[in-house]
Amino acid sequence: MNRRDGDTCSSTPDDSLAREERRLGWTLVAPALGVVLLVAIAPLAWTVWESFHHHDLRMPWLGRSFVGLANYRELLGTPRFWASLAHTAFFAVASVSLELILGLVLALAMQRASRGRALIRATVLVPWALPTVVAALLWRFLFQSDAGVVNAVLIAAGVLDQPVVWLAGTVTAWVPVILADVWKTTPFVALLLLAGLQGIDPTLHESAAIDGAGRWRVLTRITLPLLRPAILVALVFRTLDAIRVFDLIYVLTGGGPGTATEPVALYTFSALMQNLRFGYGAALSVTIFAVAFLLAVIYVRLLGADDGRGGSTT
Amino acid sequence: MDSLAAACRASFLLLVLGACGGGRADPRPVVTISGSAVGDEGAILRRQMDRFMELHPAVRVELRQTPDDASQRHQLYVQWLVARAEDPDVLQLDVVWTPEFAAAGWLSPLDRFAPEAAAFFPATIEANRWDGSLYAMPWFVDVGLLYRRTDLVPEAPVSLEMLPALARAAMAGAGAPGGPPPPAAGWVWQGARYEGLVTVYLEILTAHGGRIMDDSGRVVVDDPPGVDALTFMRDAIRRGVSPREVLTWHEEETRFAFQNGDAVFMRNWPYAAALLADSVRSQVAGRVGVSTIPAARGSGGRPASALGGAQLAINAHSDVPDLAWLLVSFLTAPEQMLERAEAVGQLPPRPALYDDARLAAALPLGVRVAREAVASAVPRPVTPLWSELSERLQIALHSALAGQVEPGPALHTAAADMNALLERSGLRYGMNAP
Repeated sequence: MNRRDGDTCSSTPDDSLAREERRLGWTLVAPALGVVLLVAIAPLAWTVWESFHHHDLRMPWLGRSFVGLANYRELLGTPRFWASLAHTAFFAVASVSLELILGLVLALAMQRASRGRALIRATVLVPWALPTVVAALLWRFLFQSDAGVVNAVLIAAGVLDQPVVWLAGTVTAWVPVILADVWKTTPFVALLLLAGLQGIDPTLHESAAIDGAGRWRVLTRITLPLLRPAILVALVFRTLDAIRVFDLIYVLTGGGPGTATEPVALYTFSALMQNLRFGYGAALSVTIFAVAFLLAVIYVRLLGADDGRGGSTT
Repeated sequence: MDSLAAACRASFLLLVLGACGGGRADPRPVVTISGSAVGDEGAILRRQMDRFMELHPAVRVELRQTPDDASQRHQLYVQWLVARAEDPDVLQLDVVWTPEFAAAGWLSPLDRFAPEAAAFFPATIEANRWDGSLYAMPWFVDVGLLYRRTDLVPEAPVSLEMLPALARAAMAGAGAPGGPPPPAAGWVWQGARYEGLVTVYLEILTAHGGRIMDDSGRVVVDDPPGVDALTFMRDAIRRGVSPREVLTWHEEETRFAFQNGDAVFMRNWPYAAALLADSVRSQVAGRVGVSTIPAARGSGGRPASALGGAQLAINAHSDVPDLAWLLVSFLTAPEQMLERAEAVGQLPPRPALYDDARLAAALPLGVRVAREAVASAVPRPVTPLWSELSERLQIALHSALAGQVEPGPALHTAAADMNALLERSGLRYGMNAP
């Protein structure tokens, strides 16, 4: 009860008050914690438990036996898993970096716009507001080989002399996939960055201009460093989204040709929902979760470190 | 276009399900059935349901609409059945789902109802048996057919090798005098990565004298006939007989191309015949011939059609199995099958009906070709693992057709994978022997 560091005369009533406050706090938070436990932690724990079992709905005669890490061993020995992981990484890096660059340009442009700001921002958000499946269908129509607009335009412009079958090529199938994602989520990144831009004190830019710094110098020395927290937030959201990409690719290419554009989420879906391999599918789900979680932790560390330094440096 | 329609249908389904939650004043027991319920197929099913209720006034039949896309319907069924839902009582199953659902314990065995199995084509009954019991009744048969433009190719090819040759000749020809130019595509088929591709491959494989599994239950697609068959399909694309677009095509895209006069040959199911004969929508009406896919020369192969189609099964957790059987036996009776053939051109699985003048009048593709195709139909292996085996085969086929891998190595990997999967399952071959 009596702590050594609480030896000052006024400490005892304060301490009990604080304890009471804490207890009240926990009581108030308890329902929320219960919900989190029920809807987030419990299913996750169940999935992890399931991943240690052989559980195949199509083979009930094999039972549901505990197999330890066998599902994970199978996973690591399956080339299709590694390929899907590589596809996911490629998709994440390619789409997120394009989205950041374009989003930054868009955000800078939006900040400069003096008239009709609200209207511009609302318009920019339209692709983001569209359901992903609808957007994906739209892009599939654009990239259809025989009647698609993209081929027609490229042929008219003289870039192509005959239509490209985009969705049937190992490399070309990525073009509509990445473009569709960039088209759809750049507005989101732009708005996040715009919020960051508006938090920068304009006097910094003014004094830099007075000191004779050019536009490029202002951008690289003042705007970008101060925008770092906003960029990191955008990165966290977008990377975690990209790692779980499913609907866009499901509609556009179905993971094909072969499995050339299949991300981990689609592979998991096929194991779980098509092949009814619940144990193996659970192992896949846990693996995706682990990867996403790891990245989130890394990002949060980066964000935290940035905040700490942001306070101490001039 | 397909998926958009499917999405619309799915959202409609939600409305229907929501609406069904209302109060039920009607005291009659309800039998629910799920299946294709759009367009003409939906109309004929509703008509037959009404007639059933007139015959059995004490029963009410309700329709549960499901997505038309096979894999989406499969997923929905799995969700329902895993949850041990009592509804729907009667399920329309794709031919390859019966063993999977039966092995999972989701279907009610039908032998206790003494079904007249002998009145059906044997292949259609065998496909619905699992571990000695019958689990579903054939409702209508689908068989893969070769459609051709009779104005460009008057006689059906008698060997598989003639197919690309005739196609190329027709593409290079002058076309009809004063008419449109010759088609840009020679032979169109379903080449997207889905079950349809496997059925196309199965036909070309059988035409080369090969099979997917041998008698001992080993996957042998990497034997020479299997590699030859895939090479034949790959070369059709490589040499411009089949457009590269087929790698993204399902049934409807091929039908549109053929219907618009853009293809010489088309591989498709019987449903296309009636649509192609409709001179309002089809540019090729009256110029369409149908045959089975011919055998490759000197290969020991035979003309083959992949066996597809729909079955009716009873949910193992149905609360009214006897009434469900009443509905199944009504829908699979000769009269209802003939009506179905007349309305939507779907082939009946009862051989006796092929001597009926009404069927001859109903089938635009001709009753002789139809009977020949059904009698020579090749089933896919009957195993609960089919969807996963098929997925691995689809990936191998599609990667080889897209030019990522050579047919030989692609099939070799797939066969090894598929055999490993079978081994792991502990399935004895012949588990299904009656």
